[in-house]
Amino acid sequence: MMRADLRPSLVQTDPRRAERTAARKPVAPRPAFHDMASRVGTLERAPVFYTFAEGALRALARRVRRVRVAVGELVVAQGEPGDTLFFIERGRCRMVVEKPASLVTVAVLTEGDFFGEGAAILGKPQQASVYAQTECYLLALDRQSLTAVMTGREDGSMHELRWFAEQRFNLFADTTVQATWGQLLQEATVVGVYSPKGGAGGTCISMNLVGSLSRRYPGEVLLLDLDFPYSHSALLAGLIPSSCLARMDQVPQESFEEVLLSAVLYDSAGPMILPGALQPEEADAVTPELVTRAIAVLRKTFRYIVVDLGVTITDATLALFDLTQHVVLVTAPELSAVKSAADAIDIFKQLGTPDDRLTVVLNHRSIKPAVTKSAVERSLKRPVDIEIEFDGTRPEQAAVDGAILSLTNPKSEMTRGVEALAAQLDRIHARPKAGKDLPALVGAVKAEQPE
Amino acid sequence: MKGPVPAFRRYQVGVRTAKMRRRLQDLASGKVTESQVTLEESGVDVAGVIDEVTRGLRADSMPVQRLVTWFWNSGAIDHLADRLESRSIPVRIAAAHTVGALHLYEAVWYLEPLLASRDRHVSDASARALGRIGGTHSATALMRGIQRRGTNRRLVAELARSAPDQFIESAISEAAKPGVRPALALAAGLRRRRTATSQLIRLVQRGSMRERVISCRALGWIGATIAIPLLIEALNDRNWKLRMSATKALGALRARESVQELRQLMIDRNPRVRRAAQQALLRIEAGRGA
Repeated sequence: MMRADLRPSLVQTDPRRAERTAARKPVAPRPAFHDMASRVGTLERAPVFYTFAEGALRALARRVRRVRVAVGELVVAQGEPGDTLFFIERGRCRMVVEKPASLVTVAVLTEGDFFGEGAAILGKPQQASVYAQTECYLLALDRQSLTAVMTGREDGSMHELRWFAEQRFNLFADTTVQATWGQLLQEATVVGVYSPKGGAGGTCISMNLVGSLSRRYPGEVLLLDLDFPYSHSALLAGLIPSSCLARMDQVPQESFEEVLLSAVLYDSAGPMILPGALQPEEADAVTPELVTRAIAVLRKTFRYIVVDLGVTITDATLALFDLTQHVVLVTAPELSAVKSAADAIDIFKQLGTPDDRLTVVLNHRSIKPAVTKSAVERSLKRPVDIEIEFDGTRPEQAAVDGAILSLTNPKSEMTRGVEALAAQLDRIHARPKAGKDLPALVGAVKAEQPE
Repeated sequence: MKGPVPAFRRYQVGVRTAKMRRRLQDLASGKVTESQVTLEESGVDVAGVIDEVTRGLRADSMPVQRLVTWFWNSGAIDHLADRLESRSIPVRIAAAHTVGALHLYEAVWYLEPLLASRDRHVSDASARALGRIGGTHSATALMRGIQRRGTNRRLVAELARSAPDQFIESAISEAAKPGVRPALALAAGLRRRRTATSQLIRLVQRGSMRERVISCRALGWIGATIAIPLLIEALNDRNWKLRMSATKALGALRARESVQELRQLMIDRNPRVRRAAQQALLRIEAGRGA
């Protein structure tokens, strides 16, 4: 009846029956030569198939399905069941572990890599979500095709495949647990405030957001000013800085934490500020390594770290995007600002920032905006999350007075806007309560570990 | 029928069924490699017994593999193929049921023509078997069936069941399959997979009216909160079906931000939309309480 080459391994082929089978075999579509060569090439590169015989690889290559995934799209979702192994033929994917209040990139997968083996081979839920970082061409091999090919072979390949899948599953399970450490250890949530166009009010909003958050959590909120080359947050808050992050470059590891924390400026009303650089030429000293080191230290000390990322995207800024749990994009209702914001959203999508971790703030800098809110939303292809109405000269006056509006004037539009933003951040990044939620979270993490 | 003769026959069938179940269980557990199982045991629902033995097992599990091996070795698989092509409707249905229970991937090519059968029971049995077997070929066969016969509940449900990861998602995106898109959107919703969210959102924005209506519901089933602004926008559409579908989806999503718009729909000119809005508000209220 059915195809002789697909029979299970224990079958002793009867030549008479094989002839009969061949005569009735339906015609299956076969890929073209160059397509087949490309498929085999991709499968060969995957370490999971190193030990496979060429015949098995060809049989698998005939059965794979090519899938095109657009930039930023979700390929597999964490926690959902799955039945397909994906091999990256072209493009780049980002594997992230999603835990409430944190999102950790555990791997960036490129051509020749594969994912989905835990679900497809072991039948377990997906360990991590995978997003396409660029346009991707994937080869999808479903469980049924794999079983159909592999059960006809007695070379132990299936056993090795399972063993390999278990190894990878355990490795990622460890990484998943590590990804939740920040939450278990009650580390800070890092919020990046980015304004792709100067004059949109990014610094003002980050300053007032810190004020609003520090009213909720006095002494637990820090503003890290990376708005280079001129970091003026301390000045706007009426504080006089004596040191900055850039000067920590040569500090030895053992005294790094102490020196870094001593550079933090304390405002009597609650917020704290760490300037990135005091002189424009010092900005170059803020390297991605220094930023990573500093954030690792500061996360243990604070509840929220708000980073003013300024306008330009530097290596340090990019390093920080990887460390942020939330990005606030500030734009003004002006043509150039909206266009820049739309481009920035595309970049965030490429970086794999999920939509719920990106907040768009529309800051009105004039009484009558040139571009309406609906037009802004159309250009951005997403809704504006928070709108800050025109606040007159209050922000400028507050800067002159060295005051933070969200602490001094609860009725101002700026305060209303940042209060809404702080409430949203609190809702998304709520910490587990020590007595109630934390044991449940620890339990959940333990349950996810392999037996 | 009552009386001693039918009762005795029932008893005989019961004994034969139990005997067959025992034999199949022995084969599946590996106790024996040879057995006297025949597919035409008088009065016994062989397919039902095989289904009972393999229920809940995966295609690559050892018990299923052992049974399949026995079918290949004994030549019973050829009888199955003959029975799939039989003229008798009950025989074809039983054969489809059996290949489904055995997860016989190689049988997909034989099941596909049965989807076009004029007898609904045969096509349903074939669709069920394809759904149970799963994989790319089964899903493709079901999709072709939908293209030929139009959106059919059984076919869509089995497509949702059989489609491997990213199958529905990529099929929705393919321009070559516009006619089958509503069924695919429905299947994506039934699967409740987050991976189809962006494709469904695109259908709501740019699809035909039918695609938009179905995609709205599917987004609600998936729990795609990201689509809430789009669904709120759809509440103002001229088409009552779209308004109703978006209303139901917002209710399923417990979207508090849509309460005001839903209240406005309580005075909608269409009674079904009004009822849906009322239900959605109740669901949102219940969600708030929880």
